[in-house]
Amino acid sequence: MSWPEIVYLQPKITGLTSKFWEGLKNRKLLASKCNDCGERFFPPRGLCPKCLSENIGWVELSGKGRLHSWTEVHYLTPKPYMLGVIDLAEGIGRMVSRIEAKQEELEMDMPMRIDFIDVSDKLTLFIWKPDKLPRP
Amino acid sequence: MTRRVAIVGYGCLKIGKYGADVSENEMAIKAIKLALEDAGISRGDVDGLITTPNYLLTLGLQLSVISEHLRVTPRVAAEISCGGIAGGLALKHAINEIMLGYADVVVCYGSVKESIRFKNIAMIEPGMGLEIYDPTVQPYAVAGVIWAYACSGRRYMYEYGATEEHFAVACVRDRDNARHNNWAAFTTPITVDDVLKSPVMCSPLKLLDCSAARDGAAAIILSSEEKAREITDTPIYVAGVGEHHDSSSFIPTDGCDKSITTFVATREAAQRALRMAKISVDDVDVAELYAPFSPQELMLPEDIGWFKKGEMVRAIMDGSTEIGGKIPINTDGGLLSRGHPAMVTPLYETISIVRQLRGEAGKVQVDGAGIGLVHCEGGMLNNCMVFIFKRGD
Ligand SMILES: [Zn+2]
Repeated sequence: MSWPEIVYLQPKITGLTSKFWEGLKNRKLLASKCNDCGERFFPPRGLCPKCLSENIGWVELSGKGRLHSWTEVHYLTPKPYMLGVIDLAEGIGRMVSRIEAKQEELEMDMPMRIDFIDVSDKLTLFIWKPDKLPRP
Repeated sequence: MTRRVAIVGYGCLKIGKYGADVSENEMAIKAIKLALEDAGISRGDVDGLITTPNYLLTLGLQLSVISEHLRVTPRVAAEISCGGIAGGLALKHAINEIMLGYADVVVCYGSVKESIRFKNIAMIEPGMGLEIYDPTVQPYAVAGVIWAYACSGRRYMYEYGATEEHFAVACVRDRDNARHNNWAAFTTPITVDDVLKSPVMCSPLKLLDCSAARDGAAAIILSSEEKAREITDTPIYVAGVGEHHDSSSFIPTDGCDKSITTFVATREAAQRALRMAKISVDDVDVAELYAPFSPQELMLPEDIGWFKKGEMVRAIMDGSTEIGGKIPINTDGGLLSRGHPAMVTPLYETISIVRQLRGEAGKVQVDGAGIGLVHCEGGMLNNCMVFIFKRGD
């Protein structure tokens, strides 16, 4: 999807974690995996938080999660937007992300799924939205 | 403790907006002058000078300017930085240096003009200071730090049944107290309705739920017990110091198991300080808590231990944290109404407690206050300190 009026800031991307951002471009949510001790972790980091190894690989996550909390940001933005904290389904970490939903649609701990936005030729960002289960 | 340490003097300026006519260094000198007068000592007695960062880009060399201006020659000098907790760490460094015998009389001060750089402790420019967050948090963290505290407040509402009205009552309590504080920035009376109708910043937080970055300067003089007995009849002793850093930064993102409505660092720091002081939390008569936003006014008294989790929803309504209640909190107005020069706030909090323990607090005096608690923090309460102070016998 494209969202020309999206408010975002350029994240400070370093070589060690650039694969995460390349993953977003390819519509994948990647987490780090230590090739030495096997620890899967998020946010992505250049050194394993468990054993400090620099031998880090990548695994794709489900892109599902639950909404831990949210706020509607009115400050320092031309247009209010929803910002949420997502507990990743794999339980390994949390994301802070823009949420595509109206405030009244949101409930604590509701299922969420990731989507992707190309904000420029060089940068693709994540955005999360409620994962509405089909009614039985 | 090898040597007991006491607070023997304080001085501070009214919190507000100072503009270009006075420098941060001049504000510091004014505060130090007031503290020296309060203690009744001369500059020649000072053998330690400890401060917190201001934003003059002086590479930590503001102390050199101050020592020349004051014509003092300290044996101990340091500028200490660690987010909003810097003022607490400066006090701790002063205490340690005196305990260890490196200095006998230490001036601990801070001076900042934060109103120029910040607005409502959000960075004034989108993206300013973005490096405080993990890169995955950066793209949408446009609004400084308010969003994180707002998410914490929203979750607390869900977990414990709090409403925006409960948060607003904490704002009104702080404002009512600030009206009697000569150095508070915000003293116009407010109502719950005023808070609820103020502009939304990051829901559920409105303008009046947020502390405002302001300018201020404060100085505290600490000394060894031996010197304190020479200097004053009302020494305020340091009875306990606790510090704890949780393994997290703002919203904890490494794992999904950490709460954003209870703060481990506050709990641990409080327990350590109380243990060191050999008292229970219910022995504390008056407290200053570092709550930059109103929801944390409810969470912190629970984490420190006066109330069980969720009990503050009732206690904020029934006067338990007002003067005359179970534990009077933020009798000087707290961050929300005193104003929040972050690099100096822990010193203002300490001054509030010293005044209470000396019996100088006037209309907000807690009867017979003998033990006071100061709490301060950095990040989103990832890093906390708690001090216990006791009136001398
Ligand atoms: Zn490892």
